Amino acid sequence: MTETQPKVLVVDDAATVRMYHSTLLTEAGFEIHEAANGLEAVEAALGTAFDLFVVDVNMPKMNGYTCVETLRSETVGTPAPVIMISTEDRPGDADRAYAAGANLYLVKPVVPARLVRISRMLTGRGVAA
Amino acid sequence: MNPLLAQFLAEAADLLTQVDEGLLQLERTPGDPELVNEVFRAAHTFKGSSGLFDFPELTKLTHAAEDLLDAVRAGELPLDSGMTDDLLATFDLIRGWLAYVTTEERLPSTAGADAASLIVRLRAPIGGEVVREAPTLSGPQAGDVAPAWLAYFDEEWLAETAAWLRTTSSQMRFIRYAPDSGCFFRAEDPLHLIRQVPALDRLNVIEPVEWPEAADYDEYACLVAFVCATRAGMGEIQYLFRYVVDQFELVDLDGDAIQRYLSGEIEIEVEPESGTAEKQDQKPSSSTDPALLADARAVLAASLKALALNPTNTCHLISLAKAITYAAHAFGDPVEIQEPDVVTLTATVTRLLGDTAEAVEDPVRTVVPLVAADEAPAAERRADDPGGQVGSRILKVDQEKVDHLMELVGELNVAKNGLTFLAGAAEEEFGSRALARRIKDQYSGLHRIAEELQASVMDIRMLPLSVAFSRFPRLVRDLSRRLGKNIELVLEGEDTMADKDVIEALADPLVHLVRNSLDHGIETSDERLASGKPTTARITLTAVADGDAVIVEIADDGRGVDPARVRRKAYEKGLISEEELETLSDVDAVDLVFRPGFSTAEQISDLSGRGVGMDAVRASVEKLGGTVTMRSELGIGTSTRLRLPLSMAVTQVMVVSVAGQRFGIPVDLVVETVRVPVDEMNRVLHQDVVVLRGEVIPVLDLARALDMPWIPDDNRDRAILIANVGGQRVGLLVEQFHREVDVILKPMEGLLAYADEFSGTALLGDGLVLLVLNMKEVLGLAARVG
Repeated sequence: MTETQPKVLVVDDAATVRMYHSTLLTEAGFEIHEAANGLEAVEAALGTAFDLFVVDVNMPKMNGYTCVETLRSETVGTPAPVIMISTEDRPGDADRAYAAGANLYLVKPVVPARLVRISRMLTGRGVAA
Repeated sequence: MNPLLAQFLAEAADLLTQVDEGLLQLERTPGDPELVNEVFRAAHTFKGSSGLFDFPELTKLTHAAEDLLDAVRAGELPLDSGMTDDLLATFDLIRGWLAYVTTEERLPSTAGADAASLIVRLRAPIGGEVVREAPTLSGPQAGDVAPAWLAYFDEEWLAETAAWLRTTSSQMRFIRYAPDSGCFFRAEDPLHLIRQVPALDRLNVIEPVEWPEAADYDEYACLVAFVCATRAGMGEIQYLFRYVVDQFELVDLDGDAIQRYLSGEIEIEVEPESGTAEKQDQKPSSSTDPALLADARAVLAASLKALALNPTNTCHLISLAKAITYAAHAFGDPVEIQEPDVVTLTATVTRLLGDTAEAVEDPVRTVVPLVAADEAPAAERRADDPGGQVGSRILKVDQEKVDHLMELVGELNVAKNGLTFLAGAAEEEFGSRALARRIKDQYSGLHRIAEELQASVMDIRMLPLSVAFSRFPRLVRDLSRRLGKNIELVLEGEDTMADKDVIEALADPLVHLVRNSLDHGIETSDERLASGKPTTARITLTAVADGDAVIVEIADDGRGVDPARVRRKAYEKGLISEEELETLSDVDAVDLVFRPGFSTAEQISDLSGRGVGMDAVRASVEKLGGTVTMRSELGIGTSTRLRLPLSMAVTQVMVVSVAGQRFGIPVDLVVETVRVPVDEMNRVLHQDVVVLRGEVIPVLDLARALDMPWIPDDNRDRAILIANVGGQRVGLLVEQFHREVDVILKPMEGLLAYADEFSGTALLGDGLVLLVLNMKEVLGLAARVG
């Protein structure tokens, strides 16, 4: 494989869910970094240019919405796509995600193949020739 | 166990502890929003992770608890003790389930019934049953069209299953896995995969319609397929089959769907022939893949929404431009976006969505924004520099690994000690003092490293006492309620560290002592009022480090131990003589409670009277090489003090020899060593005794007790080791005393496991194995030999 692996930051406070998403994406050829809450995610994004963020909503220290807002703010200023994945599916949740700067809002748990497909698409892998 | 489940169980244990601790703290500081939030979050995280597995009862129950906590968090209702009870009971039940899951990898069959009443109770304060189900892994929904390959299952079994699924309103997952015929060359192992399917209920192998002729038979081609039925969760199955997504099908059917299939009511899905199943993996630009098209549309629809809701953030706009470009690629309709402004983007998305409107049902309602663009310079992308490490820096290590490391350190010590013998040999056998000195130099360097290594490995094993204390808030709370006593528990010095073996071994004695305090020590509220005490009693658990020991004290402000009553009781039980009844000091009298066969409680209560008394506590503490003492003041309170070694890893033993064999005796037990001229030995009633400073001490012949032939030399003074065993002084006749050594004791194993007279073995520096005596048993043996 000559192309560099896209870097993905998986942000979730639940270690099991983190492992689930990380395993799927690692096997799909992504380089995975992990963060256990929004604050860690922001710290990580300050040091590394990620190609994709997979962010949980409900987390301690800094929740997903604030995290994504910060990623998009001048502090971090990342233009990388953000997928938010939440356990909640209440009306308005998706809107909050999009207002914060997410590119796609999905409800947990996500079918593995779908997560991989979308991650590939949003990083330009497996779509563009 | 699959690693995901193992991870879940480990995480669950932590979360459950957080919930428990939080709930108990909340009782003390009700309404603390920070605490409520913490508990809620732990429950929420737990629910999120549990959703990955097929534990519907678990997810449902956690969901109910989470909803209740959510209402508390939102300030809709205060948390009362009834709710706390229900919540604690919920998480207790869950803890039990998880223990079951750990061994069986599924929930106990009673889970549904056990959870039902709790769910009703949890939901009662927030307006009863709510239909807001936790989302399960999406994909084919229950009641889906039954696939044609259901025919591979036995109809009778299907009918039975359908009936059973209906009564339990649950679902069954059906899998068809048709491995690619060339799977062998892709290192796929279909058989292994199928074997890993959890909770497998039925498995059928589908053979090809016609097997090829022997001459044409290719033994590397996989020609069979599998169908199976399982209760495992969608998430687990998808995870398991993640490498072969294009070779397997999964449907989730409920009883009704199967029934409909059986009665032929529904149309059966027609599918292409299995052998030619198309591969749709990493191939780029598969614009015909309907799933990819649907995802691309979802991204576009989401982009439209995002454009409307957040049209000004430059970074966001760039990211949307990217996403839109990629999605367009997926449609096979590449677009180029020069200026990522909101108007251009909106127009592009609207066009793309319009062009492909017929392709797939729109998953998200589209909103066309009417907001003007706000142009801002594009943010520069951050340079790629090595990212900082993220996540916890704590390493969880298997206990066995640390134990093994400790063993190796022990062996290293032994090997290291071998060098001193080598140095001796160099000088004596080869006459090279220079070589001997060089070996000794090497030795001292090695010695320093080995000591540091040992210290750091022991440090890894150190745990805070809070591990042992953590169960008490709950225990005290529950027991005090049952007893109708008001008790406040105070924990102090929880940060004190001790070896994990000590902490673990401390658990049972501590529980016993605390129970004892609760049950016997603390008076009822009425009694307390009558004696002018505050109605709320107090139990304090304190831990402090004291040199190489840790001291744990359990103190209560209860009624105290009545020495007079203890003396009388001990006399009635025949534990003390009439003379002692008169003369025993109050302090010594209190100590009588540790004697075997003593129990002051008139009635055996179901709390502490479980057949083990304080004697068991003393025995187990002494086994750890510790001591236990009790101080009590009548009417004021009782405190029991346990003194334990910080670490059990290294034992100091005194080496003695008898009949040419060397044995070790734990130094804690050794009082002194004496040499007594033969004619000063006495005999009283068939028992050898020696009189030391006016005290008559029985002397036992170690050689005889161990059945070893040895006759002491009458021309030499007798070597007698005075030991303190179970509070009594005993002399042990040995041949010779040697030095004291630090050893790492290994328990007796295998064929020698029955040899109770030894507490373990240790390797000495010269390679000899030292047997360390278990003095209590040796005394028993000596008494039997006579």
